[in-house]
Amino acid sequence: MLKPGDPAPTFDLESALNGRTARCSLGKISSDLVLIFFYPRDFSFICPTEVTGFNKALKEFTAEETTIVGVSIDDVDSHLRWARELGGIGYPLLADPDGKLARAYGVFDDQQKVALRATFILDRKRKIVFAASCPLNVGRSVIETLRIVRALRTGQLCPADWTPGVEFGPAGREF
Amino acid sequence: MAAIDPAEKRRLFERLSSVREIVFGVQDGVLTTAGVLCGLSGAVSQHSQVALAALASTAAGALSMGAGAYLGTRAETEVLRAELELVRADAAAKPYTVQEGLLDELCKEGLSREGAYRIVRLLSSSPRALASTAEAKMFGLSGAMIGRPALDGIVMGIAFLAGALVPLLPYMLIALPRYDLGGALAATALTLFGVGYFEGWLAHRDDRWRSGVRFLAIAMSAAAVGYLIGLAISPLGATAG
Repeated sequence: MLKPGDPAPTFDLESALNGRTARCSLGKISSDLVLIFFYPRDFSFICPTEVTGFNKALKEFTAEETTIVGVSIDDVDSHLRWARELGGIGYPLLADPDGKLARAYGVFDDQQKVALRATFILDRKRKIVFAASCPLNVGRSVIETLRIVRALRTGQLCPADWTPGVEFGPAGREF
Repeated sequence: MAAIDPAEKRRLFERLSSVREIVFGVQDGVLTTAGVLCGLSGAVSQHSQVALAALASTAAGALSMGAGAYLGTRAETEVLRAELELVRADAAAKPYTVQEGLLDELCKEGLSREGAYRIVRLLSSSPRALASTAEAKMFGLSGAMIGRPALDGIVMGIAFLAGALVPLLPYMLIALPRYDLGGALAATALTLFGVGYFEGWLAHRDDRWRSGVRFLAIAMSAAAVGYLIGLAISPLGATAG
């Protein structure tokens, strides 16, 4: 699995976006940060909680100059049907049917033949600044991901559980 | 078109669940008693002594087999119940895990992921339906597998007794040397063939005769070995006397 500091592998894949098929290329994303979240499969029971969770928080991520991209090994038709099933998804769901992108990020589970539940945040230079993965049976926290995005955007030293409004840096803190 | 009545079919399956005890009990009763008769006839010369010993063996065998079936089914039932409770508790506590597991199983059986997802989603509207389907599909468990220990014990005991009477009755009724054992073996052979044939009939097999012959071959082998063992140990009886 790639780690913070590694250059992010680029992609140019078919995606489902707002009920249509669209090409999605990392090079064409102009936002400050890019949040890539890999999830195992469409039409499953934990993934939709994450997919819809990120969709509900889309405005907040956009406000933080962050583009969200979901990726799974399903094809784009599946993504379209899945997104419709979930009531519409406002960010692109990338089709990575051969798992190439997941492999490039080192998050392809060869045993299960799916991508791990992995999250990457890329900075403006498209370097990885955050990387984490969860077991297949545990969903991610959208709130925590948003907190990390906000923390990264400050460019400051953010202590544990930092949230906007809380003092930066550990200097002068009593432990 | 004749519709299948699920309730009737279920009752039939419940009745058929005793077939194992009936077939096992009858076969064991017939074989054990025929073996005892053959073995004792080789070792003991008195007809009444052989018959008495075979009767005692039959009574002990029926009780032992009945108790064994009761204890076996009870142990199996307890383990199965515990497993079912674990699965049900798991389904209640971690429905997502069960849903994902069931989804994978249905996909393995050839359903499309989308189709399987819709089925699991529908099942999820009833926790009971989700749990029972997960039990069957994911773990091969089913409430219908829970046996009835007392019934199994009684059926096994009676089946053993009925099987034992097959060689025993002709042996006791025919008081002529050689003919007694011959009659017992003939009845044994006929019954075992019948049990094999019956089993083939129950299983809707075309080769019911082969099934009968297989039972017969086993019986003859057991009887022959029993008789040979009796012959081999008869000098020991003579020394002791």
